[in-house]
Amino acid sequence: MNHTLVDLIDISKGFGDQIVLDKLNLSIRENEFLTLLGPSGCGKTTTLRILGGFETPDFGQVIFDGEDITNLPPNKRNLNTVFQKYALFSHMNIEENIAFGLKIAGKSNAYIKDKIKYALKLVNLEGFENRLPDSLSGGQQQRVAIARAIVNEPRLLLLDEPLGALDLKLRQDMQYELIRLKNELGITFIYVTHDQEEALTMSDTIVVMNQGYIQQMGSPEDIYNEPQNAFVADFIGESNIIEGTMLEDRLVKILGAKFPCVDEGFGRNRPVDVVIRPEDVDLVKPEEGTIQGVVSHLIFKGVHYEMEVQANGFEWLVHSTDMFPVGQKVGIHVDPFDIQIMHKPVSEDEEAIGVNE
Amino acid sequence: MKKTARNIYLALILILMYAPIVTLMILSFNASKSRSKWGGFTLQWYSSLFRDDAIMSALYNTLVIAFLSAILATLIGTCASIGINSMKSRWRTVFMGVTNIPILNSDIVTGISLMLLFIACRFTLGFSTILMAHITFNIPYVILSVMPKLKQTNKSTYEAARDLGAGPFQAFMKVVFPDILPGVLSGFLMAFTMSLDDFIITHFTKGPGVDTLSTKIYSEVRKGIRPEMYALSTLLFLSVMVIMILVNSAPKEPDKKLSLELENEKKKLPLRQVIPAALVILVAGAGFLFHLGSKGSVSDEKLIVYNWGEYLDPEVIDIFEEETGITVTYEEYETNEIMYPKIMSKAIAYDVVCPSDYMIQRMRENDLLAKINWDNVPNIKNIDPTYMEQSRSFDPENEYSVPYCVGTVGILYNKTMVKEKVDSWDILWDEKYRDSILMQDSVRDAFAVALKRRGYSLNSVVVDELIQATDDLIAQKPLVQAYVVDQVRDKMIGNEAALGVIYSGEALYTQRENPNLEYVIPKEGTNVWIDSWVIPSNAQNKENAEKFINFLCRPDIALMNFEYITYATPNKAARDLIEDDSIRNSRVLFPEAEDLKGSETFQFLGDEADSYYNELWNKVKSK
Repeated sequence: MNHTLVDLIDISKGFGDQIVLDKLNLSIRENEFLTLLGPSGCGKTTTLRILGGFETPDFGQVIFDGEDITNLPPNKRNLNTVFQKYALFSHMNIEENIAFGLKIAGKSNAYIKDKIKYALKLVNLEGFENRLPDSLSGGQQQRVAIARAIVNEPRLLLLDEPLGALDLKLRQDMQYELIRLKNELGITFIYVTHDQEEALTMSDTIVVMNQGYIQQMGSPEDIYNEPQNAFVADFIGESNIIEGTMLEDRLVKILGAKFPCVDEGFGRNRPVDVVIRPEDVDLVKPEEGTIQGVVSHLIFKGVHYEMEVQANGFEWLVHSTDMFPVGQKVGIHVDPFDIQIMHKPVSEDEEAIGVNE
Repeated sequence: MKKTARNIYLALILILMYAPIVTLMILSFNASKSRSKWGGFTLQWYSSLFRDDAIMSALYNTLVIAFLSAILATLIGTCASIGINSMKSRWRTVFMGVTNIPILNSDIVTGISLMLLFIACRFTLGFSTILMAHITFNIPYVILSVMPKLKQTNKSTYEAARDLGAGPFQAFMKVVFPDILPGVLSGFLMAFTMSLDDFIITHFTKGPGVDTLSTKIYSEVRKGIRPEMYALSTLLFLSVMVIMILVNSAPKEPDKKLSLELENEKKKLPLRQVIPAALVILVAGAGFLFHLGSKGSVSDEKLIVYNWGEYLDPEVIDIFEEETGITVTYEEYETNEIMYPKIMSKAIAYDVVCPSDYMIQRMRENDLLAKINWDNVPNIKNIDPTYMEQSRSFDPENEYSVPYCVGTVGILYNKTMVKEKVDSWDILWDEKYRDSILMQDSVRDAFAVALKRRGYSLNSVVVDELIQATDDLIAQKPLVQAYVVDQVRDKMIGNEAALGVIYSGEALYTQRENPNLEYVIPKEGTNVWIDSWVIPSNAQNKENAEKFINFLCRPDIALMNFEYITYATPNKAARDLIEDDSIRNSRVLFPEAEDLKGSETFQFLGDEADSYYNELWNKVKSK
């Protein structure tokens, strides 16, 4: 059932001298909630605009449901976009905003009326038909923008950082709302954000992008637990990224100490990057640890304590529910399956190039 | 204390801004034509305004040109703004600069360059050239008011519309246009008022027979602006005020609290721009309908007349057209100096013009005049031989000109203030009348007084005589209340001065308004001026021009013009037809030969002498 809906093939796009996308390949399955995640300038918005038809790629093809739509104008594409700043038509009331696409499509008045009612119910805005966009809160406006897009029954909904302008609480509410909508409507969502938490919460698939390349693509769990390079590890959540040497299969040397791990196939005595999530660092008695250090920093974060431990010349970030005061000597222990080994990039350029395939 | 000061300051500003308008509005209800005398309340200027074809057609032209140029400039300017807005920022800056320059450029430069362009392109100056000129200078204003709106417009609303299925044009009209509409409408209104206001550019780009209100009003400068114009200006001001009140009284932006109430009204939005724009369209439309009703028939026989403002009874033209079947195009000018370059440029082939004496000489010397075929002007016999003789000073063989209006320059004095006998220019140097003397503010008129007083010729080019005259004028200066042009009339009527140098044509009217005033021609002699009809050498309809001149020499027609202009006519037969004895026998209007002893007519002295006169005059004025 989950056949491919969209295929981006070898997409390249530049603005002036700057290359924004370089031979990007991406497949999106029907009914997927796919998130393009990355820092600003990584090419995620350009990818979305190429999908929406607002930019034409310099090279490459956009295949939608088996059909080449690379040069099709936006109004001829069976997809809709929810824009970052809502882009509501301020001189039209909510009803007219939502009816815009349907009227252009030439639907009957009765059909339009039904659709508006349905859409407003779906986004919990019943009774707002005659209000003007400016009289609505940010969250309400965003829901109108979503309603305006979905009444056209698109196969694909593109969302360009739609929650970016909302405050934290509202953003979290809207995240659940979007998941619910996606499940009720059964359409494919492509979501662009730079907020890793948003991406982890909502997505079926996350595509991490940097400098026009896909860094890693996978489920939220994959991305979080097994980042494939330092960029992904750094961008998704917090990490300790330490240079190390893979001595042999299942044994890595970090900061002068040998740590057993579960990774294989890196060869012998190869330089690698080692990722250890802060919550995976266990602080124990000094004599029980693989290496020893001293707590140099302590902050209470609510659900846990955040500590920094100086050990063997590296500042370890540690999240723990147990508190160790500053100045205390501690031992550091990491379970083998919590150690993530990554290839070390030879150059800075290589750091940006995807290694997922 | 602080508050009082603030209110006083505010009041002062308001007074400064609105005092002139209020004065004009009050004068529009003044039954007296004088600006310094209240003759009781009247609405007659308002009623005669709507019966005056010349004013109404100027009003019609003004409104139609303002409306059309505003519409077209709005269209072009809005498209240009969209183009500029989508440029890269470097080019955008360049283009905004380029479009802003014409706004900063002075009107006179724009006007002259447009005229030169039109002439170079062989366009006939007229309605269409004014329209083109107005469109040209209006476009930058439209761009200026549309651009900010376009910049404010969220680009993604256009994309959202495209995304929802709208084509490029549809998306623009449905989404972008409503957003920039306030800017487009205010651009339109700005263009409309700029066009309504413009004088200078219109002046240079207009052709014969087309007048807008501003050029029409300005052409009346010589004879004094008619009170009908006060009435019209009052009406224009009030309409603008109503529009402004409508624009400002409607709520600004639908803010959040108001929006609930506004929702029902929403369909009527944007009230504050639509209504004024609709009013503008209505007024222009009404003007158009009015004009349709008044359009006459057109024939192949044509005549282009170029005359002083208010210097011909409009009815005379109607009669002429009816009798001869010739279609007359009538254009007016304000001064000889404005008329001359137009004739010299030959941009327009005028058929008959009415310059003053010295200007006729100058035109003749520059081969700009055609000899009149006297066989076609038998009515020349009606003209007083005295004036044919006087004309010889600028037209030695009586070949080129037919006298039309004549007059003298003399002293107007107030009998209640001046008890002694006034018969000499000397009285203008009398200490007794310090600060009660009015002199003409023009170089030749002022020097004529000083030269004649010494017994010299008023066409003198003798350096010693001129230096003496200069010294005399400088010596007289402390006694002079003001150097003025047409305010002599009003100031004398208002008893503001005892003595004034004035043209005889004005004397009759001032005496009627203030019986204490008396006019004398000083015994040393004075300037006899003659305005005559001439035919430019490039006239296309010379025979029609001669027919016209002959027609104007007909006693009944000359009488009509005399009664309209009130300047003396050299037409003896017409004078005999005047019913009022006091006028027919007035020695002010029709001086006897002895009154004119020692009098002369101005001659063109050549460019060199002209600039010498100006140099000396500047010396007088700057002392």
